[in-house]
Amino acid sequence: MDKDLQRLQETALGEIQQAHSKIALENLRVKFLGKAGAISQLSENMRNVPKEDRPRIGKLLNEVRNAVAVALDGRLVALESEGEAKNLSDVDETLPGTPFRVGGMHPLTLLQERAVQILRRLGFALADGPDIETEWHCFDALNTPANHPARNDSDTFYLPDGRLLRTHTSTVQIRTMVANEPPVRVIGPGAAYRRDETDATHLNQFNQLEGLYVDRNVSVADLKGTLEYFVRELLGQEVETRLRPHFFPFTEPSFELDIRLPGIQEGKWMELLGCGMVNPAVFEAVNLRRSDSAYDPENWTGFAFGMGLERLAMSLFGLPDIRLLIENDQRFLAQFAT
Amino acid sequence: MKLSLNWLKGFLFVQHSVAEIVEALTFAGVEVEGVEQRGADLDKVIVAQIESFEPHPNADRLSVCRVNDGSSLSRQIVCGAKNFRTGDKVALALPGAVLSDGVKIKVSKLRGVESEGMLCSPKELNLADDAAGLLILPADAVLGSPLSELFPPDTIFEVEVTPNRPDLLSHVGIARELAALLDLPRPKLPQVVARPESAREDSDVVRIEAPQGCPFYSARLLRGARVEPSPGWLRQRLEALGLRSINNVVDVTNYVLLELGQPLHVFDAAKIRGGIVVRSAKSGEELLALDGKDYELEPDDIVIADHERVLAIAGVMGGERSGVAATTTDLLLEAAYFNPGFIRRTSRRLGLISDSSFRFERGVDPEAVLLASARAIDLFLQVAGGKVDESIVIGGSVPNLTGVVEMRPERCNMVLGMEVPDSAKLLTRLELKHAGGNRWEIPSFRQDLVREIDLIEEVCRMAGIQRVPSRIYGSATRSSAADRAHDELMQLRQRLVGLGLFEARTLTLVDEHSLDLLVEARPDPSKLRNPLVEDQQILRPSLIPGLVRAAERNFNRGLSSVAIFEIGRIFRALAPEEYMCLSILLSGERQGKSWNQDAEPFDLFDLKGMLKAAFRKEFALARVQPTSFAPLVCNVIDEAGSMVGKVGQVRPGLSKEIGARGPVFVAELNLRIGETPKGFRYKPLDRFPAVVRDVAFLADRELKYQAVVDAFASANEPLLADVRLFDLFVDPSGEKVPAQKKSMACSLTYRASDRTLTQEEANVAHGRLKSQLVERLGVTLRE
Repeated sequence: MDKDLQRLQETALGEIQQAHSKIALENLRVKFLGKAGAISQLSENMRNVPKEDRPRIGKLLNEVRNAVAVALDGRLVALESEGEAKNLSDVDETLPGTPFRVGGMHPLTLLQERAVQILRRLGFALADGPDIETEWHCFDALNTPANHPARNDSDTFYLPDGRLLRTHTSTVQIRTMVANEPPVRVIGPGAAYRRDETDATHLNQFNQLEGLYVDRNVSVADLKGTLEYFVRELLGQEVETRLRPHFFPFTEPSFELDIRLPGIQEGKWMELLGCGMVNPAVFEAVNLRRSDSAYDPENWTGFAFGMGLERLAMSLFGLPDIRLLIENDQRFLAQFAT
Repeated sequence: MKLSLNWLKGFLFVQHSVAEIVEALTFAGVEVEGVEQRGADLDKVIVAQIESFEPHPNADRLSVCRVNDGSSLSRQIVCGAKNFRTGDKVALALPGAVLSDGVKIKVSKLRGVESEGMLCSPKELNLADDAAGLLILPADAVLGSPLSELFPPDTIFEVEVTPNRPDLLSHVGIARELAALLDLPRPKLPQVVARPESAREDSDVVRIEAPQGCPFYSARLLRGARVEPSPGWLRQRLEALGLRSINNVVDVTNYVLLELGQPLHVFDAAKIRGGIVVRSAKSGEELLALDGKDYELEPDDIVIADHERVLAIAGVMGGERSGVAATTTDLLLEAAYFNPGFIRRTSRRLGLISDSSFRFERGVDPEAVLLASARAIDLFLQVAGGKVDESIVIGGSVPNLTGVVEMRPERCNMVLGMEVPDSAKLLTRLELKHAGGNRWEIPSFRQDLVREIDLIEEVCRMAGIQRVPSRIYGSATRSSAADRAHDELMQLRQRLVGLGLFEARTLTLVDEHSLDLLVEARPDPSKLRNPLVEDQQILRPSLIPGLVRAAERNFNRGLSSVAIFEIGRIFRALAPEEYMCLSILLSGERQGKSWNQDAEPFDLFDLKGMLKAAFRKEFALARVQPTSFAPLVCNVIDEAGSMVGKVGQVRPGLSKEIGARGPVFVAELNLRIGETPKGFRYKPLDRFPAVVRDVAFLADRELKYQAVVDAFASANEPLLADVRLFDLFVDPSGEKVPAQKKSMACSLTYRASDRTLTQEEANVAHGRLKSQLVERLGVTLRE
């Protein structure tokens, strides 16, 4: 009996090791462990075993049964992982990925957002104003003479009631100051309109980013430092900047800020934005509207700036025609979806 | 405005390089738009004379000329110009000469006729922009001499002067500025012949009836002048700066204008009846101006008249009938100061801008008026001869526009953010006179300096912005509603992009046809009073028309799927006039065919699902009356029950028209943004497992899914956590499902928040909901 058991165990383990399919393994399970299996048959022989040997043989029988069961389970796991490995090796990893739709934001939004984030880091809050404006907000309050050409029908879009489409986002400066006491530190991105013929470099609608900082002791040095920081953050540390005196009715002194970047506009100086110290006349107009002297020019000074986004986008991205920005060709938009 | 360096050097001892001058002007606020070299590099171009010419035998437009080049032999030259006569002196480029455009001249045959050189236009010689005809040289030019002797090298600057600096609109003005910027001795003004001046007032000769418009007028008579072509030097000065030479008299007035910045006008004295009257125009009065056009005048306009009729529009343009002509012998020279506001108004109203009006409306130097008159008289005598009247007749008086302005040095330091110890010296260089204390006397040509800040700006310009340090300082600011709105919109954009959409940006101004592309009637759109073009006259009442056009462009360029959105302002006549809107347009494939998936077209439910994913909110759609643009239109209703927008499917005919290969879906939602965010509170996570039970049923085809949802909801089953429709099936053939029915299957999730549900509990609840469905909707359960 001892020997029978030992032989059975050897046979079973040997056959299990040779089994190469789940079915074969299942057959072996039936063959050895099934109700009519080899081990069951042997256990029926227990009747013939001398009484004193029965505990020992019984124990042995259990050990054999367990050993076969463990071997079957082990072989099953081994077979399964062999199969998985085989399936995985069949995967053609060079097949194309599932095509998901990929969208993207408009390049002007991306550029504007970059600018907004930089200025927010400096502590500028956002401000807003309507596209349809009064002549007072757009011109009078900004110290523009009554018969300045910008007010002409030929230059500015008017509504029948005499209001107009703002020609610059500087109106946001006025709205902010009329509604808030100093100090103010705001930026206002938005659309502006000029009555221009549309061509490769002109649209009658464009996007500006306006900025205003009014506080005690704000100086040209603050304007210079802030804008230099802004431009370097926006365009990279290698950008060169220069301020060039200019004239705007609403700032004094006024400047244009030029930039020079390798590879952009043949490395020539390029006008980026207009800026200057808020003209005291603007503060006075605001005070008059507020009916107070919150913006007393003796106590408060400030700087303002305004940057057009389209021209910058054209230079930065090498666009040959400004109209690419309004055509909304998905192939064009997809190029910026990075 | 163009400037000649040679001319400037006549007043100013400047030895700086061109680059240094450009830089000085640039950093003074005078933008230099171009620098051109003129006159130089004219090797092998000489003075020659036309001896004779005849038509080219083989070309109608060419002539064959015999020219004398100063040697004994005459040359044969083929020429295409027509503006010459026999005897004219012209510029001849000999073989070997290289012209300004890089063309090298050689002996060659033109249409079979040999040409030994080339006769040149001013443009080819880089002397002026005129390319139409030959450069005709003065009769006294020496045959065979190099042209460079006649045209010494010069540098021409093209500058843009800002409107606050009319004093820079002349060579003397720029010379003054350069002297101040480069710290040079002040420029010498042109010397005029001292005459025993006896300015006299004589109201028969000059009468001012409109002193507000014209505070000062002077007239000087010169008799016996010859009106003829200008001498070469005068012509070249003007032509080099882009002006056309007219005749010696007109050219002198232009010369003085460019030199001193004072506009002058010359009348043919013989055509003046009585004397000069400066007055307001009479209503309906007309003038044929020098540009050949008739202008109807109004009482706001100041005119120069004689005792019978209008002669000129003051400060803007002279009249054709009283102007200088070839037969003119007696000249009346006007030099005056006109009030800028009057000139500006008239010039704008008439749409007539001249070199005169441009300067008068910005403000000329009143103290230069008589100097300019004297200078012009000197030049008339030089180039046109004649005899000048003893006295100059004046009306009114030269306005005193000098003022005194205070500038506190400490204020200057504060505004500039730096100490400027030399500010007084800098102001002095600009010809301001220290008037004691912090007071400065302003010269008459700087009428732009009236307030302290104006002087601070001058100090900044003179010190140089480079000297100002860079500083960043700022007080902290609170975020605003605009900040929140901005962030919300950026987040919305990001989500839409994440859903595979591209952001479009279309223009605000649209055409009338756009009103046919709306999912919602928007009566009374806002319109412009003065559109530039007809197709841009309406302020867009919706973003959808712009997106439809963008889709059309994409389809026309060969794309088959379009998925775009725009976030922007739309406009209407009623308040609120402007508000933020989101529009989406979908057409084509949501999912492209690939080896592991089938192509799936966009449908209405993609749009509905996108809205939910973008806003993280449930929206209900409710069918409304279709429009001619969209036969399927639904209101979009938010969780609070408010209508927030529309979705629709575009009319198939129109979809086809714009090139879409399948249906086009659009949505437009009004955005409520920038509201104070509600506090966010976390909800405990579900701790106990849910039990899921399905129910399938046959319902009438007309039954809407919302009715199913409502039926479940009406049971108020506390254990019901979620309902999900997972199958919808119709079979028009009636084989699997009766044709008038549809099969729906929902998955219902049951959960209790405080315990694990038993199967029995779930079964009881599910049974109740199923019978609710049958009772309320009369559906047949499919078990």
